[in-house]
Amino acid sequence: MATATTELDLNDPRRRPPLVTGEQDLHSITETVSKIAERPKPPRAWYVAFAIASSLTLMFFSLIGYLVYEGTGIWGNNSPVFWAWPIVNFVFWVGIGHAGTLISAILFLFRQNWRTSINRFAEAMTIFAVICAAIFPGIHVGRVWFAYWLFPLPSTDLAMWPNFRSPLLWDVFAVSTYGTVSLLFWYMGMIPDLATFRDRATGKIRKMLYGIFSLGWTGSARHWSRYEIAYGLLAALAAPLVLSVHTIVSFDFAVSQLPGWHTTIFPPYFVAGAVFSGFAMVVTLMVPAREFFGLKDLVTMRHLENMNKIILATGSMVGYAYAMEFFIAWYSGNGYEQFAFVNRAFGPYAWAYWTMVSCNLLAPQLFWFRKVRTTPWMMVVICIFVNIGMWFERFVICITSLSRDFLPSSWGYYSPTKIDVLMLLGSFGLFFTLFLLFCRYLPIVAMSEVKAYLPDAQPHGDDHH
Amino acid sequence: MNHPIQANSSELQLGSAADKLLRYGAAVGGGGLVVALIGAAIHTDGWRRLQFAYLTTFCYFVSLVLGCLFLVALYHLTRTGWGVVVRRLAETVSVLMVPLAVTALPIVLSVIAGSGQLFPWASAEAQATDHLIQHKAPYLNATFFTIRALVYLGVWVALARFFWSRSVQQDATDDVQLTLRMQAVSAPTMFAFGITLTFASFDWLMSLSPHWFSTIFGVYYFAGCVVGALALLIVMTRALQASGRLTHTVNVEHYHDLGKLLFGFTFFWAYIAFSQFLLIWYANIPEETIWYLKRMENGWQWVSLLLLFGNFLVPFLGLMSRHVKRTPKLLAGWAAWLLVMHWVDLYWVAMPEVLPSPSIGLTELGCLAAFGGLLVAAWSKVAAKHALIPVHDPRLPESLAFHVPY
Repeated sequence: MATATTELDLNDPRRRPPLVTGEQDLHSITETVSKIAERPKPPRAWYVAFAIASSLTLMFFSLIGYLVYEGTGIWGNNSPVFWAWPIVNFVFWVGIGHAGTLISAILFLFRQNWRTSINRFAEAMTIFAVICAAIFPGIHVGRVWFAYWLFPLPSTDLAMWPNFRSPLLWDVFAVSTYGTVSLLFWYMGMIPDLATFRDRATGKIRKMLYGIFSLGWTGSARHWSRYEIAYGLLAALAAPLVLSVHTIVSFDFAVSQLPGWHTTIFPPYFVAGAVFSGFAMVVTLMVPAREFFGLKDLVTMRHLENMNKIILATGSMVGYAYAMEFFIAWYSGNGYEQFAFVNRAFGPYAWAYWTMVSCNLLAPQLFWFRKVRTTPWMMVVICIFVNIGMWFERFVICITSLSRDFLPSSWGYYSPTKIDVLMLLGSFGLFFTLFLLFCRYLPIVAMSEVKAYLPDAQPHGDDHH
Repeated sequence: MNHPIQANSSELQLGSAADKLLRYGAAVGGGGLVVALIGAAIHTDGWRRLQFAYLTTFCYFVSLVLGCLFLVALYHLTRTGWGVVVRRLAETVSVLMVPLAVTALPIVLSVIAGSGQLFPWASAEAQATDHLIQHKAPYLNATFFTIRALVYLGVWVALARFFWSRSVQQDATDDVQLTLRMQAVSAPTMFAFGITLTFASFDWLMSLSPHWFSTIFGVYYFAGCVVGALALLIVMTRALQASGRLTHTVNVEHYHDLGKLLFGFTFFWAYIAFSQFLLIWYANIPEETIWYLKRMENGWQWVSLLLLFGNFLVPFLGLMSRHVKRTPKLLAGWAAWLLVMHWVDLYWVAMPEVLPSPSIGLTELGCLAAFGGLLVAAWSKVAAKHALIPVHDPRLPESLAFHVPY
């Protein structure tokens, strides 16, 4: 595509630019997306990535085995920092998932049609991120074989219930609801595309498996009608989940009385941060994926630019929350609160704090420049910085407040063990393993949804987008 | 551009209604002023109460005008097509910041006078004896307060006039570049808007209780702004349609979308209000709970419950229905209700600092009538000068033909 003409089209407010570029028709979209999963062998890069990712996953599960055998003493968690990397990793991974839900639910309700090219991809990431997230609190309980006590099951041998007033219990409900709805949404949206794979499948096994999972979809008008209703309902159900999950995660901290944790802006601040990191992860993975799998006409520069704008917006909201916390810490006149923030910026964890500030606040501000928003390598670099920054944000919140609370005599300095580091690495391995399998076997772009927004599919022409 | 829009057709002009609105508005406004002054004379502690009632009403109308400014900027930021037909109304409201800026004068004067009647931190006595107020003095002092008020109001006036003047210029020139320019400015606008709105809410509302603090307070005020602005737009559109205007431009799909946004932001307000309440209730730290404690006794608990039900639960159920959102009369009814509730919200924020138990007196009603009447009169002058929709907006055809296929 000649970039000069597309840019002119993109900016002309008199007409909406097409969502996909190139001479696309219904068939070419099917071909482009299906052949990714149909080719007998994926590109060599896929094998290399899969080898690394699956090895890390293996290491992750071995370490979990070791943890179960040996106990949580293998981690760096110790007085006064009992909530350390496992909780940091949990919050980080839950946050990553939020882009998928925002794209599939909220952007759908806002009729942001450009989302159709990226929603499948982002929704898949949501599922994988929730899986990674759920593992950490699950193993953090120590005696993993009692993890089911998290659920309010009628107890036969304990004669007690979980504490319903604890946001930790609300987390169990919030994250499991989130995981369930996200999985349903993702799977249901995929049924028409799975049916396409089934119809094109050549091998017997492929035909059977895709056949089972496409649930007998024929594409009849009745199927579509029900599909659209279910889609709208699930979107409406998932929209509040975008807010609720990270709100409740923020409650884990904010309901306490600990300086640096207890502040009223936490709920919306955490939600903005989650969407911020989630979008950064989508861009990080989308840029190489569209390159390797030849999706540049479906996931266009405009899609990436829009995502970068959302990163800039949500990153600025996070910056706003930092500023409010700092201002009110001073304004409140509360000495402990002031200490918590001065300690963050200039105490023993200043290195983590300034890593967070430069990655989260400064880096995304570069997206004010169109050049940065539209240059793939630049956006990937910034998005990786954002993800580093968002991991450090949770580290700063969690560790600095716990390590130095009200009593100087109970202060301490937390250091992770090697196992902590390897388990974080291992969770990335699990995430990428699942992601690579998804790229190999499932429709990574929602073909049927993209097709609905081709110019030919619009009976009334340009006036309706 | 070949759409059948005639800027001078009576359907798109305020026309003769402008004079009527001006006369009635000025009469109600003048009357309201007198009533408020009578109230101040007869109520116990009347002058102090008048200052609070004035501030509450000022913050109420500022929130509506700011909400409209936000929507205008949001339109450009997101390149909105569907709702262009109602954007002009938001623009006309947003430039009412010009007269509103003048009405901030009594508030600033009250602070400069140093009586501490309105803002306790402004009194010399509190500054001399109250340790926390001394700590906050670098921020909460008359000079800085005045400078900040000037900055907020200056920024809002400048932004509102920027979008307004370019939009009406486009009516005449049909120049697409103006749209591009407004889009470019809309993103930095959000920054300026967010920061000024937050600190204005700290200054004008939160510091009424100068010991108390809440990091989410700016977001809370913002949520109310947007609910109020959307409700106002719906009511205005409906009223104009009832008078035979905008009948061929605004259709049921536009109402439906405005209704969905109103529903969403009602929920957002509740989410923010609940976040603030729950975290303070749960941690139960006296320096924070004091603010809610005041609003949970001596009759104020009923106002708190009225907010919970009237500003969230009941309209939440009411606006959930597709039928309601697609029936302009019903939707406008809910919107009008939410406009009232939004005032109750600010009353609940400000007035417990002066009234031991809730009551609505001549001061509150008078201020509401005074501000409302005078702003309606000012609006009629602004709105009468130009068409009621941006007739040459490049995305107008999209908005006129707007319908949702699913």
